[in-house]
Amino acid sequence: MAFWREAARRLGHLGRRSRFERELEDEVQFHIESRADELEREGVPRAESILRAQREFGSSLRAREDTRSAWQFRWLEDLSSDLHYAARVFRRNPSFALTAICCLALGIGANTTIFSVAMEVLFSQPSCRDPRSLAQISFGSGDWIPMTQYRFLRDAHVFEGVAGINIQMVTYWTDGDTSYKLAATRLTEDFFQVTGVPLAMGRPIQKGDVDVTVLTDGFWRRHLGADPNVLGRKLVLSGRVFTVIGVLPRGHRTLVGFGFMPDLFVPTDPGEVMVYARLPEGMSHQAARARLESLCREMDRAVPDANRKWAKGVGVSGVGGLERLLHSGSGFSMMPVAAFFGMLMVVVGLVLLIACANVSSLLLARSFSRSQELAIRFSLGGGRGRIVRQLLAESLLLAGCGTVGGLLLDVFLTRLISGMRLPMQWFEFTIQPDWRLLTYSIGIAAAVTLAVGLTPAIKGTRAGIGLALKNRDGRDGGRRWSLRNALVVGQLALSLVLLSGGLLFIRNLSHATRLNLGFDTAHTVWATFGEQRCTPERFHTLTEAALARLRALPGVEAASLARGVAAAMPIWASGDVRADTSRHATRITYNMNSVGMDYFRTMRIPILRGRDFLERDRPGAPAVAILNENLARLLFGNADPVGHTVLLPGGEEVRIAGVARNSKYSLLWEENALAVYRPYAQNTLNQSPLVSFLVRANGSPEPLVHAVNTTLAALDPAAGVQTKTMHDALQPLLLPSRAGAAVFGAMSLLGLALASIGLYGVLLYAVSRRIREIGIRVALGATPAKVLAMVAGESARLVAAGAAIGLFVAVFAVRPLSMFLVPEVRATDPANFLAVACGLALVAALATLAPTLRALRVDPATALRHE
Amino acid sequence: MEPSASPELLPGTLYLLILRTLSRGPLHGYAIAKRIKEASRDGLEIEDGSLYPALNRMLVKGWLAAAWGISENHRKARFYRLTPEGRRQLEKETGEFARMVRAIQLVMRTV
Repeated sequence: MAFWREAARRLGHLGRRSRFERELEDEVQFHIESRADELEREGVPRAESILRAQREFGSSLRAREDTRSAWQFRWLEDLSSDLHYAARVFRRNPSFALTAICCLALGIGANTTIFSVAMEVLFSQPSCRDPRSLAQISFGSGDWIPMTQYRFLRDAHVFEGVAGINIQMVTYWTDGDTSYKLAATRLTEDFFQVTGVPLAMGRPIQKGDVDVTVLTDGFWRRHLGADPNVLGRKLVLSGRVFTVIGVLPRGHRTLVGFGFMPDLFVPTDPGEVMVYARLPEGMSHQAARARLESLCREMDRAVPDANRKWAKGVGVSGVGGLERLLHSGSGFSMMPVAAFFGMLMVVVGLVLLIACANVSSLLLARSFSRSQELAIRFSLGGGRGRIVRQLLAESLLLAGCGTVGGLLLDVFLTRLISGMRLPMQWFEFTIQPDWRLLTYSIGIAAAVTLAVGLTPAIKGTRAGIGLALKNRDGRDGGRRWSLRNALVVGQLALSLVLLSGGLLFIRNLSHATRLNLGFDTAHTVWATFGEQRCTPERFHTLTEAALARLRALPGVEAASLARGVAAAMPIWASGDVRADTSRHATRITYNMNSVGMDYFRTMRIPILRGRDFLERDRPGAPAVAILNENLARLLFGNADPVGHTVLLPGGEEVRIAGVARNSKYSLLWEENALAVYRPYAQNTLNQSPLVSFLVRANGSPEPLVHAVNTTLAALDPAAGVQTKTMHDALQPLLLPSRAGAAVFGAMSLLGLALASIGLYGVLLYAVSRRIREIGIRVALGATPAKVLAMVAGESARLVAAGAAIGLFVAVFAVRPLSMFLVPEVRATDPANFLAVACGLALVAALATLAPTLRALRVDPATALRHE
Repeated sequence: MEPSASPELLPGTLYLLILRTLSRGPLHGYAIAKRIKEASRDGLEIEDGSLYPALNRMLVKGWLAAAWGISENHRKARFYRLTPEGRRQLEKETGEFARMVRAIQLVMRTV
């Protein structure tokens, strides 16, 4: 502590040095004059008294020098002079400095960019008042709480305030004759008061507000042209008129996080909610959980639910950072995303390592050719520690400049990403540089300084005076040489590992783009149709009429309807399922869908056993279901399940009508997913008046989009309709594959480029040091082929060593990547490694070309005179 | 130069003397030197040249604080005063010094 305070005082002194000098002068003057006054009182004449006082004081110059040194900040001043010297050295050799700084800037830029994005996506703090005392609470083993229980909780006043939101709601906004599907987060009326979410303009939703809405910045900009007079404007949402009362600021982050951003907020009854609570000052999550648990026991008595024990699975978790990441109680796990970013961090870490090896290798070469200078400094009495510090100052300067360059790159790239419209609706990211990025980059700069500079500094100064002064032909540099070789081998190995991963991701993307989902995506049109204010009976009539009209459209081969749509809008359920052949229930998570007639024909999903749904599977008829292959095998093994019955989680018993082929339900890389299809007509689970129409075209689906849209819109002007080709609707699925291929591909190319520059540098340097030797060999009759073999042989040895180590590591290192890859791309595919090794060899050959030519051009006469 | 009449200060004692002198209130540099000289009945004299480096080192350590003021002879002078940290240091050093003097005296008497 004392040390830091002292350092701070010294640091403060640095800023007022000129004032200090003046004051010291005054002080000495005062001292002498006071003494002279005294002498004068004793009877000494004034002129003499001054002289005597000055003599007594002694050398004021020395006194001042000593006083000054009391304040000196040795290491800081040393550092600044070291940095000045380093800057001078670099100015003399700008190409070296520029190469090194660019290498580092690329490595560090890649690193900090991924860091920034990961921090934003995974750990960002929501925009609200004091996020630390806000918590998400869950009970009854789930995040979704029905309004009855929510009200009970709210009225119990165990927390300072509670608020609920439902983010899963969709509304249709009618603007003129077009309608848009919007994500409308529904919230309880005290949401804004409890969370303290700030607004850019207008006022928040308050108690008693009806038919008002608060817009997000993105919606306001994209759809309302950033109209400054938007407050008071009326929007027709699902047939009801809402008044705009507020707009959220740009860069708002929702409580849900992970980039989720709806279009607007409405205080309409949410049905069921995710609950947030404002904890009283100083209340820990543990204390909050204890309070919540006792309240839930009360809830089980007061407002019980047959299917849910409220006191079970009670949880209180933070609304930001790691806690929110680990929570994922809504069944939507962020873990794959976190793993993805973890992998990317490793990748960019490797790239940075390659860049560091490059710079370190450059510095090694330099410290070797600077051995003369170092030797002179040694002989003039420079301590080894002092010289090591000087050399480290050089790498510090490089790392510093590289970090600044990297941060510029980071800011540029993250701006680009923030502005990018993701193919996923309702997700956007605002990435801004913050203190975390700053801390991280300072850490990176320090690590890079040491990684880059320590070895060259220690190696370069080990020789000491004698050896370095004598050493003029550099023959004893063998050891340092081999260190540089080791660095290059390491670089090549690392870049091979990166390339293996990169190639896997690129192959993955090319497979993914084919959208081989187990159903046909090339000829289908998907339309969502919602009408929220009509009775179930009327909605039924509407859908029947819609199907009839769609089937009558020219160019339509088949049309059907479904509750959910695989991959684009999947519905997952979980619970105990029991087959009649088994006495035990199995707890499973499965894809659940209610589909109309002709669904399997429209989607081109073959029924492998049994039958498709038929006209007779209507309400009142025996309940039937179709399983996918995976679930059929899980429940019945190899036996034919058709005709058997299964008990579903709702307590409903269904007879198996058929087995459909497996397809993808939400992710491209999922395997072994389970699925249950029910006839749409027998659907009793969901009453929400929202349905998807699927239309199969004879030819290309594009021309049908408009026709389908107008047909559905003409049916009911209040309905919300959105129509897309299936292919377009599924684009968000490709996002992870695209991002993976782009980042991994770019990083592995960057790594390869850096490694080949490293190889090139080392070979060229080796040739330039051996010019004399080559000259002698040529003079003694070595043929160009021999010279070529010498240089190329060196290169081949390095590449072979690098490739061997790299392949060995890669075989293990790429294995975990398979969780991000479609099943068609196998991480252990030997062809992949072979291709990568060939690619590396090719690039290495290119890097060897210039040094070889240099060696071949050696003229013995000139070479012998060399040095 | 004639040899100094006053004995060489024991190393480190200069800080102690300055701290002790300032414990009664702020003084400027000249007054500190004079006070020490008078208190020791001319037995100790601080070289003027070493006073200011010592004062500044003590400023760096945070034992003293300095401020400009007007001296008794109506000149602008820099006054030094003890900080709480300086007061603690004075207590510590006083104790150590007393122990050392006792120890030296013991040795001188017995050997």
